Amino acid sequence: MNLFELQQGSSRELQLFPHIVSTGCRKNNAIHLESFRETVVDFFRIYNIIDGKYEWRVDEENLHLYPGDTVLVLPGRKLSSPKGFLEIGALAWIHFKIEILDRSKFFPGKWSSLSESECYTIGNILLLNRSLAPAKTGEASRILASLQNELLNQGIAFHTRVNQLLDELLVAIARELAKEANPGRDFSKIFFQLEQKLRDNLARQWSVEEMAATVGMGTTLFNVRVKSYTGFTPTNYLINLRIAEAIKLLRKPELNLTDIALDTGFCSSQHFSTTFKKLTGYTPSEFRKRNTGDT
Amino acid sequence: MDCIISIELGTNAVRVYAFDLQGHIIGSAKGTYPTFHPYPDYSEQDPEQIFITMLYVLKNLLNEKIHSKRHKVISICFSASMHSLLAVDRNGAPLGNLITWADNRGQKEASILRGAPMAEDIYKATGTPIHPMSPLVKIVWLKNQQPEVFAQTDKFMSLKSYIIQQLTGHIVLDHSLSSATGLMNIYKKEWDQNALGYAGIRADQLPEPVPINYCPGKLLNQYRVSLGVPAATKILVGSSDGCFATLGAGVWDQHMATITIEDSAAVRVIGRDVLSDDKRRLFNYVLDDAHYVSGGPSNSGGVVFEWFAKQFGDFRNAFDLETCMEDLIKEAATAGPGAERLLFLPYLLGERAPIWNAQARGVFFGVNINHERKHFARAVIEGILYEMYSIERMLLEHRNIKEISVNGSFASIPFCTQLIADIFNLPVRVSANASSVSMGAYLLAATDIGVYKNIEEASRSVKLIETYKPNVRNSKVYAGYFSVFENLTGKLAGDFEALANL
Repeated sequence: MNLFELQQGSSRELQLFPHIVSTGCRKNNAIHLESFRETVVDFFRIYNIIDGKYEWRVDEENLHLYPGDTVLVLPGRKLSSPKGFLEIGALAWIHFKIEILDRSKFFPGKWSSLSESECYTIGNILLLNRSLAPAKTGEASRILASLQNELLNQGIAFHTRVNQLLDELLVAIARELAKEANPGRDFSKIFFQLEQKLRDNLARQWSVEEMAATVGMGTTLFNVRVKSYTGFTPTNYLINLRIAEAIKLLRKPELNLTDIALDTGFCSSQHFSTTFKKLTGYTPSEFRKRNTGDT
Repeated sequence: MDCIISIELGTNAVRVYAFDLQGHIIGSAKGTYPTFHPYPDYSEQDPEQIFITMLYVLKNLLNEKIHSKRHKVISICFSASMHSLLAVDRNGAPLGNLITWADNRGQKEASILRGAPMAEDIYKATGTPIHPMSPLVKIVWLKNQQPEVFAQTDKFMSLKSYIIQQLTGHIVLDHSLSSATGLMNIYKKEWDQNALGYAGIRADQLPEPVPINYCPGKLLNQYRVSLGVPAATKILVGSSDGCFATLGAGVWDQHMATITIEDSAAVRVIGRDVLSDDKRRLFNYVLDDAHYVSGGPSNSGGVVFEWFAKQFGDFRNAFDLETCMEDLIKEAATAGPGAERLLFLPYLLGERAPIWNAQARGVFFGVNINHERKHFARAVIEGILYEMYSIERMLLEHRNIKEISVNGSFASIPFCTQLIADIFNLPVRVSANASSVSMGAYLLAATDIGVYKNIEEASRSVKLIETYKPNVRNSKVYAGYFSVFENLTGKLAGDFEALANL
């Protein structure tokens, strides 16, 4: 194991990679009390446990970490150790900048060759999965080790390789999280989880690819399963949810129609009105009139 | 061609069928909706989502299978699952979600009522066993636990009342569903004063109880136009899923009973008399002016086998539960009757009839070093069917049942149907229809327009095919196992309670 530490600003190795804040590999030989205070994470942090047993806390969640585990800590989360110190052992890490525009829009940056829709998908998995439990993936530790090798050895085309490996790391972690969320047995269960996410984010313009990725499935299989399970295509199922929610909101006279349209994921009040009328026969305002006693 | 539409508002999905006037299915479609469990004992659904899903499915079916072929819709008949409760305010807006039959939040309220002196009278008058499923118990729960919602409630509706009110503007509930609320007098067919008093509500806070062939009025104009059906289309309020399944199962004769096993299950009979059960285990629901559907419901249907498959089956393809279950059934068939002394009590969701114990749990009994997965698979299937047989035995105290008709996706799997014949030691027939519930709805609507003289004639027209005969040798084996099954269930009551209190 190569022990080292690179910091943006002071390490020349990182000059070409302004998005990498810090990376390294360290061994902790002794316990220093009070050495691990609670921090609100500012960048994307990935840790890989090489040796030892750790107990950390991310927000309210306690994580028990063992060699081989990979932990992903998102910006804004509180990272601490219930014991207040870093346990004895060894770990590797990388901290890098990623833009998170809102709850699920995620742009790694120009260095990344992930396409916009792939970023959406990965962002969904990383940001919408409630618990970012440690992903036990040999993949991640291998990738992190090669990435650090590239940085230290600076071989031919290392600039491209480092960025590629960083992409690879994100993809590996996203795939692992998706697989953990869904072991391929109980479709009703994972569909229910997806449904909750759709309900919680109705205003968002979901594509079928994103919905499929959220539950870690390919689009084709996802389409077939949703249709046979619900009777609807994914898009039509989503329209169901939108109109049902709109009906509830229309009963509240204090909300205006444009807000209702946007809150329920229609791109305009015109689009809302047409879809609503097609399904129910009423325009939203006619429906409201009939159901609130308002004139 | 003229056609009849049935709309079945089920536990997990709405199913819409189109029938020609002879009862042939000319189109069908379904749409699912989720059940929410915000707390462990809660089971809720979103009434608006159910309404929109129903409209959407209905509209697609009409466009694809009816209007495009220039068929004409004569009538639309509704079925719904029983025991649902939806509180709405004076503007008709729901105060929260729909509480479904599977909701167990009223356990305490149910046990208090069960021990009260008036329990006997309420059960006898209303036909509904006293259990958290009963809307009577749910209303009492609301009164105790959410007094502000209770106070704001203008009407305590059932899912079907709500849907029909959206479509027609009228708030009604058919006698079948009314008789499953624990609030209607099944003899007088009006809201029972005792039960109303216990719930602390007035009769005008409930929908108007109406016969199953009642027409609550025409579709509101907007829905008529958006669905594209003629102005003359008749709306029939219809019945409950349980009563329709019984009507559609063709078991009009006194010596017949029907077993329905979908996710949950029931054994039912039809008759002119209310079956009085001193232990208050049987339900008696109103079919029409002269007939009742009686029997016992079980929580432990196909959902139990599905659980087993999801946990222990092999998934050759991702999410392919069907193939996984087929494989397990083939495997189960290779173990002998009785699964080499392995028994299973299927109470994964507590149980209703005959033990009415929400604390009951599943049990494997008799596990031995030689047992393999096939034995467990077989024991699970046998356990589900022993439970059906224990309901049948309650009915045998009142009826001389000589023949069984089965329906529902689990009961009509040939391996299971043969097991039913063997365990019950009776010939078993399978209904030719994909859905007995919708068949029942068709029969009612067809009777209404004069295809049949009355619903008796309609029910007798149901064709039952394929008779499974009991294998006498296996029947003897199962009789031995059943008596152990029954003993175990009885003996474990105290331990189920102890486990629940840990």
